[in-house]
Amino acid sequence: MNANETPMISIQSVTKRYPGVVALEDVSFDIMPGELHSICGENGAGKSTLMKILSGVIPDYEGQLLIRGTPVRFRNTRSAEAAGVSIIHQELNLVEQLSASANVFLGRELRSGLGLLDQRRMNAETRKLLQELECDVDPQSPAGSLRVGDQQLLEIAKALSLNTDILIMDEPTSALTESEVERLYRVIERLRQRGVTILYISHKMDEVFRLSDRITVLRDGRHVETLNRADTSPREITHLMVGREIDAMNLQDAREIGDVVLEVRQLSRPWPGHARAWRLRDISFKLRRGEILGIAGLMGAGRTELLECLFGASTEACQGQVYLEDRPVRFRHPSDAKNAGIAMVTEDRKRLGIFAQMTVRENISMCNLQRTGVAGILRAGQERTMVQDSIQRLGVKTAGMEAAITSLSGGNQQKTIIGRWLLTNPKVLLLDDPTRGVDVGAKAELYRLMDTLCREGISIILTSSELPELLTVSDRILVLAEGRLTAEFSRQEATEQKIMEAATATAAHTD
Amino acid sequence: MANAKRTDSTSPGWATRYRNELGLVLAVIAVIGVTLLFNRDYLMQPGRNFQDIVQQTALLGIFSLGAAIVIISGGIDLSSGSVIVFSGSTCGLVMLLLAPVGDNGQPDATDVGIGVVAIAIGAAILVGLIVGTFHTWLITGVKLPPFVATLASLVGLRSLAKILNQAVTAELGNQVTKVRAEDLHFLKLREWWVAPVVFLVLGILCWFLMNRTVIGRHLYALGGNEDAARLSGIRTDLLKWLAYSIGAVTASIAGILYTAKITAADPSTMAVGYELSAIAASVVGGCSLQGGIGSIPGVMLGVLFLRIVMDAVAKIVQAGSDDYQGLIVGFLVVLAVAFNEMRRQNSGTRKEMFPGVLGFCTVPILALLMGIIVFVFSKQISFGLATGIVALLGLLAWKLWEVFRIKRTV
Repeated sequence: MNANETPMISIQSVTKRYPGVVALEDVSFDIMPGELHSICGENGAGKSTLMKILSGVIPDYEGQLLIRGTPVRFRNTRSAEAAGVSIIHQELNLVEQLSASANVFLGRELRSGLGLLDQRRMNAETRKLLQELECDVDPQSPAGSLRVGDQQLLEIAKALSLNTDILIMDEPTSALTESEVERLYRVIERLRQRGVTILYISHKMDEVFRLSDRITVLRDGRHVETLNRADTSPREITHLMVGREIDAMNLQDAREIGDVVLEVRQLSRPWPGHARAWRLRDISFKLRRGEILGIAGLMGAGRTELLECLFGASTEACQGQVYLEDRPVRFRHPSDAKNAGIAMVTEDRKRLGIFAQMTVRENISMCNLQRTGVAGILRAGQERTMVQDSIQRLGVKTAGMEAAITSLSGGNQQKTIIGRWLLTNPKVLLLDDPTRGVDVGAKAELYRLMDTLCREGISIILTSSELPELLTVSDRILVLAEGRLTAEFSRQEATEQKIMEAATATAAHTD
Repeated sequence: MANAKRTDSTSPGWATRYRNELGLVLAVIAVIGVTLLFNRDYLMQPGRNFQDIVQQTALLGIFSLGAAIVIISGGIDLSSGSVIVFSGSTCGLVMLLLAPVGDNGQPDATDVGIGVVAIAIGAAILVGLIVGTFHTWLITGVKLPPFVATLASLVGLRSLAKILNQAVTAELGNQVTKVRAEDLHFLKLREWWVAPVVFLVLGILCWFLMNRTVIGRHLYALGGNEDAARLSGIRTDLLKWLAYSIGAVTASIAGILYTAKITAADPSTMAVGYELSAIAASVVGGCSLQGGIGSIPGVMLGVLFLRIVMDAVAKIVQAGSDDYQGLIVGFLVVLAVAFNEMRRQNSGTRKEMFPGVLGFCTVPILALLMGIIVFVFSKQISFGLATGIVALLGLLAWKLWEVFRIKRTV
């Protein structure tokens, strides 16, 4: 890398304040032309704020931004795109009802001589772009019908058609299968050959170290360090990200596993109108008292669908038998499951978990209000005591129980939702990817909490998209692949390698 | 830091918690004050004015309570006006059907007895319950959006009331659309204090339901996040039934009182557009159409404020206030929601008032609107014209200043 070269992007003392919070503070670093520059940091470190500034989503900030040496200030994504900057968001930004080619040319549709849409040329161009990206889909098929990996390539195709030379990718592999990830790596390689500068945001150290030229670490809105990949190690980067040593978790010793609490036999969940026909097929397993049962699987393997079945929250009727403490049960509504002693903490906290308009108190007491008063009348005093106990027990960091739930960090929001369910005294706790969007410190606290709960006799079924997490906390791990149970490992047997093999072992199991 | 602070120091004081309600009380006082400056009628006839305003407020308020509960629970009820007509007609028809036959061979409904009146009122309330249940089925069973389900009732029920009135009165020998309700017991409901008492009692009941019961908390939860509510083990379908039934039953009660007030139920003219007034009152009272936000005292004050402003305009211009009603409601709704929006965004992002080309086009539109409003109130072309020109220049200057400000920051 030539030090005299003009940086592609120069970020100079960028600061972004929100009321009460500084999201970015005096961040400065350069990105050189043609490099793949990874940005690492915990949740809340300011990565996405910075990317939003770079891509024009956030127009007001302090400090300066130079692209190819000229100062710029993007007022919207369009002006950023005009300057050659595109972003692939983690949550993809496609209009699902429109065709692939319509999405690529959205907002700058090609027109024929009469000013009408030139569908043919758009399709042809889209096909060419997609072929270049090893993506074999029909430009006329609706974007929503494509697989996540193909949708992502569609977004990249769109960026390419904009003549993008700076591409920001926000956790691009989080929803991809192994083979899709490999394909993405090849696409990235091809983009680099074209001279595209790539900003790559990821939590996954193996990816970062496989792809990057340089790595920048952000922590609490500040720039910590920018390092050459060759001069550093994953260990050093994680250390810089956290700013403290993560104390080695030791949760395995002597947790007592009791009798079978929940037994599932031949559970199937239909998938009307889908080629696979079954979201889940013939799943059988047992859960014992005081046990943490981990469920591994790629996106779309059926982890959430399984928990929904057990909780009575699925839209289709599930087939098969479920026994809770040896009694057959069939839940038609989450309230049945709740009354029977099953609790579920949902995957998408913002959409399915919290009540954003409500206070911490109202969020915690939500499932257990009947017990606070007589004849459906609230007793404010009892509610407060209950909530206060819960806040203390789980160590929720909040300014008070009347604080707005949205003022809490992700990890603490998650704790209030767990607290909400613990108040119902569940026998079985279903946790659907509970540490998603939770920072490293809070994750460790959640692991410790799970351990304590199990020691108190609760059984937990845990799904997670992160294998190390499952390996840390689970007593046993089940692996799902395309709706089928493909393996079961005890803690001693399980390794990341074995789990990944089972999770991708779908072809062998078609019958 | 937060761990040490276990006590509830963040609990907001009542002044912030009831900011919306306080604001409305002050606004009501302010409007009365301004009206007094222009018009002495409030001082000349305090008793009659008081009775008038209180009765009108209560009649609108009764079904606004229902509309607000539906809105807080995340839905919308567009059918109130038609439910008022339909239940009023039902009430009148039941009294006609059960009335003794008079000398001319027609039913004589001037004295049907207290029992029949009770049955008629019961039937009208039952109509509300039926409509509410039907709405809930359309929404939860057929999965129609609430807007569509209640829109169907809005147009359908008024028409059905007309046809039903004609069919039933034809059977009785004298086909009419407007059903008279002239029983002397029933007409006691015309007393000025009846509607306010009903409004107050319903208001207290609704407040208790929403603030002091589990069901109320769950209704707020349903409006705030329906999926999360369901996944918290809340029976959302039952709650919706309750909300839409309250919405329709309060409209039925209002229908009975309106019918008594005008001694007839007339599907052609009665309660047209009232559903929108109720929704407007809820919004002015602080409800969010996204659901989950709003308070019963706020809605009651919102209704009072809306009514006071309408009355004030009627007093000041001394003309048929009905003609100005829509203009005032529209204006207040925009103002109230804009005010709430501004408060919510507060200091965060500095936004432009007139962004881009659209903003540029809005400048003459606003100026034109202001000119017309001044003209209709002053009845002087020259006043209107002058206001329009001044507004045009002022807003244009504002727009240019915004353009200049942006140029400078880029």
